[in-house]
This record gives sequence, structure tokens and C-alpha cells, in this order.
Amino acid sequence: MTAQRTFLYDDHIKLGGKMVEFAGWELPVMYSSIIDEHMAVREKAGLFDVSHMGEIVVKGRGAGAALQKLIPTDMGRLEKGKSMYTCFLNDTGGVIDDLFIFMLSVNEYYLVVNAATTQRDVEWLTQHCKTNVSIQDVSAATAKIDLQGPQSFNILKKIIRDDRLENLKRFHFFTGAYKGEPVLISQTGYTGEFGYELFCINNVASRLWNDLLEAGKEYGIKPVGLGARDTLRLEACYSLYGHELNDTITPVEGGIGFVVSAQSEYIARDIIENQKTHGAPRQIICLEMLGKAIPRSEYKVLYNNQDIGYITSGGYSPVFKKGIAMALVTSGVVSVGDEVAIVIRDKTSPAKVVQRPLYKYSGKRL
Amino acid sequence: MSNIPENLKYTKTHEWIEVQDDYTGICGITDHAQEMLTDIVFVELPEVGIEVKSGEQIAVVESVKAVSDVYAPVSGRITEVNKTLEDSPDLLNSDPYGKGWIFKIDIKVKHELDELMDAAQYAEHVASGV
Repeated sequence: MTAQRTFLYDDHIKLGGKMVEFAGWELPVMYSSIIDEHMAVREKAGLFDVSHMGEIVVKGRGAGAALQKLIPTDMGRLEKGKSMYTCFLNDTGGVIDDLFIFMLSVNEYYLVVNAATTQRDVEWLTQHCKTNVSIQDVSAATAKIDLQGPQSFNILKKIIRDDRLENLKRFHFFTGAYKGEPVLISQTGYTGEFGYELFCINNVASRLWNDLLEAGKEYGIKPVGLGARDTLRLEACYSLYGHELNDTITPVEGGIGFVVSAQSEYIARDIIENQKTHGAPRQIICLEMLGKAIPRSEYKVLYNNQDIGYITSGGYSPVFKKGIAMALVTSGVVSVGDEVAIVIRDKTSPAKVVQRPLYKYSGKRL
Repeated sequence: MSNIPENLKYTKTHEWIEVQDDYTGICGITDHAQEMLTDIVFVELPEVGIEVKSGEQIAVVESVKAVSDVYAPVSGRITEVNKTLEDSPDLLNSDPYGKGWIFKIDIKVKHELDELMDAAQYAEHVASGV
């Protein structure tokens, strides 16, 4: 199967993007330098094409109730114009996907899911939702552009002139207009910085992308590839499906226990509630390397020469200038401040267990 | 187009060797290799004194995104390594043929040098995209 291209493919080539295949899509891993792109987002602004991600509309009188049965998060936390992070669970409490739910109205929800799992999510939803709920996969028609970093507001307000933008709160959204077409503007992101996620129809994506780059020039905006998207979310300790979360890792184990809040019945509730109360067999910890070596996914973690788990995501942190990681380990063995050893190419390198998150979201807006 | 100096010999795996006299070679990774990697943040150097065979994995270069092996262009004994790279791995990006050299090798089998590519051949190899 050949990789799919987003509607911004030609723009990436023009910008010198180094294209790679990711989840069946051809996307830029970087344009110039992952470190430069990473720091642009932390200090100024960065623009991401994440059109590969899936969007599913769940609609109908029973939509809210149907979704509640599939997630451990209280749907009551939503209101019109608000979004929340949650996950779909399988019967054993493993995560089918992590996602954002945007409440468009009491009977209409917009789900933003991972690219590789979109098809499976649609099947899961179809299987579990009754006849009074319609499920529509709108991914193919939708482009998603993320504008992230402390200068994001200054840039976006030049393109989208809308009074609602100024006071838009975190995890809130509205549908604005760009060139007469609707754009869903959400104050959310996956970088640990203030910023927006923009959803529009494919045929305005290129104009919106280029307008944002032009408007952001005076603020030092850079186009940002998947490489920096990964290092940014790693510093912020955001989970990545297939790494911290998967079919066999529960949300409590995977470090997103905060999504467990529903009081009503949902799939695998007994298992999840039990883990939330009594602890899960494994837990995600955050690590900082003490030497110069770089931890990578799947490297083993040792404590007192005992194998306690493995790195789920690791890499070089441009902000802290050292190797950092998240690891899935046996619960209760280590705590913050303990020293563990990472097995790197048959040798061990010391690392310290540190507080989560490594990089704290401040919401700084310049 | 990346820089490919005339006086060096090259491997398919993007290492270079500069033959200083009949027996000593200085080795590193090419400008093309560092361009592909970008943002090199860690180098694992070989131990001085070890004997290696041509094509044997001998060092590791890590960029932000990827782990990449470095192979010995010829057989021989490692006589010196560039310790500066441990603190400044970015020298591999900024000066791959100069301050970014990785190791020196006592060349054991001289005719192995004849199997390496010259600048023109390596340019062709890079252009072929392998």
C-alpha cells in the first residue's frame, strides 16, 4: 500500500520537508532541524500538519449516552464548546485508542483519534452504538493544522478576526470562519505549550497553512515536523498510542489515570475502578539520564540488577539537553529520586526517576 | 549537494577515510551522512586498541531521531578516538571531515583501500539515493 498524502504535501516539499512514512501517511519528519523546530515552539511558534489524524462525528439522540458506555471519563464534564481527553477501553481494560471528544451540541460530538487506529475506532463505535446514533468518519475530508507556542494568539488573530478568540479558554473551542469556510478552532495541543488546533476542509488547508506562516513570520514561526512533535510531547510527558498506551495497557497503568471519573457503567469499569483504588500492576515513570547516553523505546530498565520494565518513549530533550524517557515498570518498586539503569547496547547507563511531567504546561502567551 | 572532498576514500555506508601515510587512516562520517541525520546529540566511541575487521560496526552516532551505526572502512587496530565528540557531538554536523573525525586506525590490510570508493564514485552513490 502506498502512503497517503495530506493536502499540504506540496507545501512540505516546497519548504524542504524531509518526508517519511508514518501510520500510512507521507509526512515531514523535519524541515531544517528537530532541535530548532522544537525550540521555536517553546519560545515562539510552530506550525504542524497533522491532517493524518482521524475525525469522527457521533450524532443522534443517544450519542452522549452511547459514548459514556465506551469511556471511563464522565461525559458530564463536557458542555457545548468544550472538549476533553479520554480513551476507549476493551473488555480487559486495555486502551483501544486515546482521543479527544469535542461537544458540538448535546446530540453531536466530534472525536479526534489517532491515524493508525481510526478504522478500528469506527468499527468499535459502530458495534457499540444503537440505531439512534450515527457514526461518520470525516477524516478524509478534514485537514488538521496545529499552531503551537507562546506567540500563537498573536499570529492567529491576524488570520481569524473573531472576538471569541481573545478569551478562548483551554480545552474550549468555537467554529470560526476562514475564507468563508468553517474552521473549528480549539485551544488545545500536544506540545506542552499554549496553542491551537485548527480543523478545516481540505481545500482551504494550503491557503490557511501559508497564511499562518506569512502572518507568523514577524513572530519567528517555523513549520514543525513529526520529529519535534514527538520530542515536545515527550518533554511534556503526553502519552503516545502504541507506546505508553495500547491494547494491553490500562489507562491507570499508562499514566492517564486522571481520565477515570465516570460514575456510571462503562466497558471494563470493574477492572479500572479496582486499579484506581488498589493500584495497577505496572506504572509509567519519568526518567532523566545521568550520563550522555540516549534512552530509546524498548530499552530495558533495571533496578538493583532486576528487570523492572522497559522504556515506552525516549529521546533527547532539547530543553534539558539530555536524554529523557517514560518507562512502563512494575508498580511500587521505584519512586522519585531513585536511580535505575537503562540497558543500552548491552551496557547499562544510569538514570534518575523524576517527577512527571518533565516539562510543565504553563500556558504562557506572549 | 553535500561536500565530498577529493582526497578521501568512501564506504557505501557513508564513512570516509583519509590515508595519512601507508599505515594510518583517520575516519569519520560523510557530510551527506550528517545531513541525513541532522542534530547529532550522542556519539559512542570505540575503545582504543581493539582490532576490527572492515565492515564491522565500531561506533554509534545518535541524532535526536535515530540511532545510526558507524562501520570500519578497513581492517586494523584503533589507535586513537576523538574524545572531544563526547562533549561536542555537534562537531559531526558542523565539521564532519575536520574536527568531527571519529577514530584513527592502523591499517592492517592495505589492499582493502582499493575496494573503497573515490570521491566521484561516492558522489554517484549518494545521488543514487542508497
